[in-house]
Amino acid sequence: MPPFFKYKKQKVHTDQSKDTQDSANHHVPEPIESSLSANLDSIKQKTGHSSDIIVRTIITGNTSLHKASVVYVAGLVDTQAINEFLIEPLQTNHDLLEKLYQQDGLDKVTKEFITLGSVHPVTNWDELFLSLMSGDTIILIDGSNKAWSASSKGGERRSIQEPSTQVSVRGSKESFTESIGTNIAMVRRIINNPDLWIETMKIGKVTRTDVSIMYINGIAKTEVVDEVRKRLKRINIDSILESGYIEQLIEDQTITPFPTIFTTERPDITAGNLLEGRVAIFVNGSPDALLAPALFIGFFQAVEDYYSRYDIATATRFIRVLAFFISLIGPAAYIAITTFHQEMIPTQLLIIVAAQRDSVPFPAFVEAIIMEIAFEILREAGIRMPKVIGSTISIVGALVIGQGAIQAGIVSPATVIVVAITAIANFATPSYTVAISARLIRFLFMIIAAVFGFYGIILGFIMLLVHLVSLRSFGVPYMTPLAPFIPKNLGDTIIRTPLWAEKIRPRLISSTDNPVRAGEDQKPAPPQKRGMKKKNTR
Amino acid sequence: MKRKWFFLFLILTSTSLISGCWNARELPDLAIVSALGIDKNEDGKYVGTFQIINPSYVTGGLQGGGGGQGPPVTVYSSTGDNIYELTRRLSTKSSRTLYYAHTNLLVISEDLAKKDGITNILDAFERDYEFRTTAMIVIAHRSKAEDIIKTLTPLDKVSAVKVIKTLKNAESLLGEEPTVTLQEVIRYLVSPGKEPLISGITLIGKKKNANKVANTQESSTPQARLESDGIAVFKDGKLVDWLHGKTARGTAWVLNRIKSTIVNISWEREKPAIEYTVMRQKTKVSAHTKKGQPQISIHIHAEGDIGEVSVPVNLNDPHVLRKIEIEVAKTIKKDVNDAIHRAQENKTDILGFGEAFHRSDPKEWNKLKTNWNDVTFPKLEVNVTVEAFVRRSGLRNKSYLSELKNKR
Amino acid sequence: MEKAKISAYQLFVLIVLFEVGSTLLIPLALDAKQDAWLTILLGMVGGFFLFLVNFRLFHYYPDILPTEYMQKIVGKSFGKFLAFLYILYFMYMAAKVVRDFGEMLITSTYPQTPLFIIIALFLVVIIYTIRKGIEVVARTGELLFLILLLLGISGTILIAISGIVDLKNLLPVLEEGIMPVLKTTFTQTLYIPFGEAVVFSMILPYLNQSKKGKRIGVYALGFSGLALTLVVAINISVLGVNLTARSQFPLLSTIQTIQIDEFLERLDVYFMLTLILGGFFKISLYFYVAVAGIANLFNFKEPSRLVYPMGIVILILSITIASNYAEHISEGTRFISLRIFLPFQVIIPVSLLIIAFFKHRKKRGK
Repeated sequence: MPPFFKYKKQKVHTDQSKDTQDSANHHVPEPIESSLSANLDSIKQKTGHSSDIIVRTIITGNTSLHKASVVYVAGLVDTQAINEFLIEPLQTNHDLLEKLYQQDGLDKVTKEFITLGSVHPVTNWDELFLSLMSGDTIILIDGSNKAWSASSKGGERRSIQEPSTQVSVRGSKESFTESIGTNIAMVRRIINNPDLWIETMKIGKVTRTDVSIMYINGIAKTEVVDEVRKRLKRINIDSILESGYIEQLIEDQTITPFPTIFTTERPDITAGNLLEGRVAIFVNGSPDALLAPALFIGFFQAVEDYYSRYDIATATRFIRVLAFFISLIGPAAYIAITTFHQEMIPTQLLIIVAAQRDSVPFPAFVEAIIMEIAFEILREAGIRMPKVIGSTISIVGALVIGQGAIQAGIVSPATVIVVAITAIANFATPSYTVAISARLIRFLFMIIAAVFGFYGIILGFIMLLVHLVSLRSFGVPYMTPLAPFIPKNLGDTIIRTPLWAEKIRPRLISSTDNPVRAGEDQKPAPPQKRGMKKKNTR
Repeated sequence: MKRKWFFLFLILTSTSLISGCWNARELPDLAIVSALGIDKNEDGKYVGTFQIINPSYVTGGLQGGGGGQGPPVTVYSSTGDNIYELTRRLSTKSSRTLYYAHTNLLVISEDLAKKDGITNILDAFERDYEFRTTAMIVIAHRSKAEDIIKTLTPLDKVSAVKVIKTLKNAESLLGEEPTVTLQEVIRYLVSPGKEPLISGITLIGKKKNANKVANTQESSTPQARLESDGIAVFKDGKLVDWLHGKTARGTAWVLNRIKSTIVNISWEREKPAIEYTVMRQKTKVSAHTKKGQPQISIHIHAEGDIGEVSVPVNLNDPHVLRKIEIEVAKTIKKDVNDAIHRAQENKTDILGFGEAFHRSDPKEWNKLKTNWNDVTFPKLEVNVTVEAFVRRSGLRNKSYLSELKNKR
Repeated sequence: MEKAKISAYQLFVLIVLFEVGSTLLIPLALDAKQDAWLTILLGMVGGFFLFLVNFRLFHYYPDILPTEYMQKIVGKSFGKFLAFLYILYFMYMAAKVVRDFGEMLITSTYPQTPLFIIIALFLVVIIYTIRKGIEVVARTGELLFLILLLLGISGTILIAISGIVDLKNLLPVLEEGIMPVLKTTFTQTLYIPFGEAVVFSMILPYLNQSKKGKRIGVYALGFSGLALTLVVAINISVLGVNLTARSQFPLLSTIQTIQIDEFLERLDVYFMLTLILGGFFKISLYFYVAVAGIANLFNFKEPSRLVYPMGIVILILSITIASNYAEHISEGTRFISLRIFLPFQVIIPVSLLIIAFFKHRKKRGK
């Protein structure tokens, strides 16, 4: 979209992409030699004689003895599979190596002998190391300037566990693991459709991490998929350690506290979003999938909303949005009311608050800031605390902040209540990332409330809205479908309409060619045998 | 770009820092005024009495506060030539800024209202951005406003709250004294077709003890207590008369201000025999000109229940109920007529007949407007029709009294 | 011209917010006493006419801003002069509304805060918004419209259930005949707020479905007219004509009168929200239109550079415009209504349309 005036930024972008292309063109990979010993030597040399690189040389053959080597990295591979399906056939089947020397040897070998998954030829060192380091097994044969890479990924990994941050009472209890293959499979298991397309690429100059884009062809918007691909290709960085790296490198807007990409650890959420036309990005080693484009309202949608009935879902979602507001302006409103707008609360309430505040030495703002900061420290300490000490901290926190501070007369009970409600409200937001941004913005609101009261809060609120509205996630306005207002898609915002009434996919996100997601007449009804509508035929 | 952001940031921070909170007032720096009384002293100066809430003594038992030991309110007073001066003069006595946004009661002494009228003192309240025009206004009957303000009361610790609640309670159950807000009073003062009414409050008992904490600590009737007492009738902004009891209620009937009230009727010459509770009522006042003469007709529609009977009467019988209804209508009509006569004697249109004319016939009203209160209103012909309905008779139909009668 | 498009619904929202914006708060059309609501309805009808005039002009020149088509209609140099006058008018109006807004805030809640600070802070927010372009303004409008609608509906319900509405206060209708009503219509309500919609001639070219523009514009004016009528009628029926006319902010007095069960009272925050949100849009639109006009007239490639200096000009202008509130208000309602509003809102557009009409007929004739 055309921003009002932004020239310089675009220029910078084009320059950078040129640079990356140039550097990629200059690099010419070295080919593999035909001497086995020379190849083994250079492997050892290039890996610095690392002890986890295992080389096994096998001598076999009927007519003449042939040498072959199997190279793999200990721990990354499934050793049993290599022994059973690779080394054993090589040692026992003497025809094998001979056949390898013949024409089309590879085809035959893979078809007839090697019972491992996929085997493909490798001709240069770059490719060789890429597959070796990602857990494949390399087969080198004396006299051939080709190597074969057999897929043998394995080794110790965390098994599939219950989700830890996006917990739900109802629904699947699986969460993603660190293995990209497992993660993709988990989504495939939910969407059994050939239109679920996956593209994989390696990103990170040093780490060469596997990154996959997943989308449903025909539902996802082609422009968005292209944009995601383009942005991923643009990344030129040493390492991708977590999906957070990718997220920060492909965002639309960097100066904002709000996330413009959705992260999830649940396969069912991922599947649901794919079905709305979003693109998922998986990063090897990260148990979080990225989903784009993200909408602001999406951060308030918990997975259970879709599993439970619509009335309950609507009510809970309403509560969540309310909680977000409270966590944003709760303390600010308290400050504004007690220092500027005492006329706005009922007399009895004012008397109670005034009685509490009478003996407190600080202005309301300072009091609230002290409590907020104390709370933030407690929370930060709680996250990184060994679990054993966790309870100690919460006791100390509750005692010191709750009881002690009030009894010492440093803060008033009303402030504690406000801070506590705000803190609890903050946890009601299903998305951790948005909850954090609310925490941050809360302090700004408190400051402006202390200076200007409600006037400041309202202006701050307008500015926040303007900011939110100006954000875009992969070209889609962040506040869709509220602004731009799309009445047909309102069914899944602050309210959630019944599943049988939601007939259309989100307009700006999914492909426009194929917008219908449910058939006509989906509303369930009881069999019409009894009741008022039809007379009982007897 | 960066420079622009920096610029924006600079503006934001500098404005907020320079500003330094002009309007910020911390709660401990505020003296919350709950009621304000206005008298006039011998020198012709206004005396203002300010009832200030002492929050920690009101709530009591809270941490940080001292508990309910001291008096819940503190009273300051000051003198001045006008109201605004009063409030400013008080700063020499008060350590805290007086805060009027929660002043819900304005007491004016009878003397002041009679001699000088209330027209001169209300502007300051209406103009002030803190003071609420929804505050209730009352006249201190037979006492000084100061005494009312100083009185300490049990139950409702802040006496302003006590006064407001008492008046509202009386209004909704007895209906004799319609409460008025500052806003209404000003509106009727200005309007040529309606004069204001203000309810009265009085201090009964030993005035000397009224402001002692001990006054609140007696389980029997306190030595000094506040009670609602009639409604004050105004003419040209000056108090001219007090209405009590039935006349007051008749006025309330005409003004459509009855929420609920009781009507006592006689039965077979025994009086009072049946107590009728009005639950719902509607009064329509319409104005018209007949043969060049302005006329008013009032139609009252009342619905209610039987509250008590002290004569044997069969409430199952529709004819009896019909008779009761007629009796009730008669009684109400009498009250209303009394009230109208009283108003006409006083030559002040507290009943809003002028406004009714204004609405129905603006051209005619323009001619009548100038001499309305003194010439036209006292001679006005008023037709009152009352319809009363008995809807229910409580949990019993016949009273046990009729059984007693049979027994003999 | 900025490369942006707004939808028909967004235009609707912008017109409503603009029209209702600050007008909700001021004592509008009370020269006609209890018939004020009638003058608003009449003004609305006049507003339809003025809007259709502007729309017709847009119809002749659908892709360019008025600052450009004025040059085509009345010749290059005179057109430029005229366009420049319009830009001055927009800036003056922006400054005037800013001042209105600041004064309102000071008298109602912030008596000790300097006018300069109040206005400067507000302008910072507006500058931030304007720099993001008309699309963002329109989308913000969509969100805030929902909020205002919610406020309006809940406020009306609260007023209704608190039982303070006395419809008798609206009687008698046409006490002194139709003349005072017509007079107030043609000296006040026709211009404020309905004639002010001339601003949207600068926004119409951004519309993505230009065919819908006419209907949407009329609907929006109608909606805002009805909303204003409702508010004025409520104010009068709650406060009475006299008090409404004497109030600086009748709506504030009305809201303060709400009392339900000793708990739902003191709802002043309603007033503040309406005040700030409404003021925000009115000023933003005047400001944006002024910026867009200058950028178009003097061929600025980057209008964003204009926003800061023009913001400062508006700030200074708004402070020096009058020395006190009374002067400001009397300037606003009496002085400028005939001297400024009449030419800019009525005479110039109508005469432009007449010239354009004949020019187009000539062309077609050839």
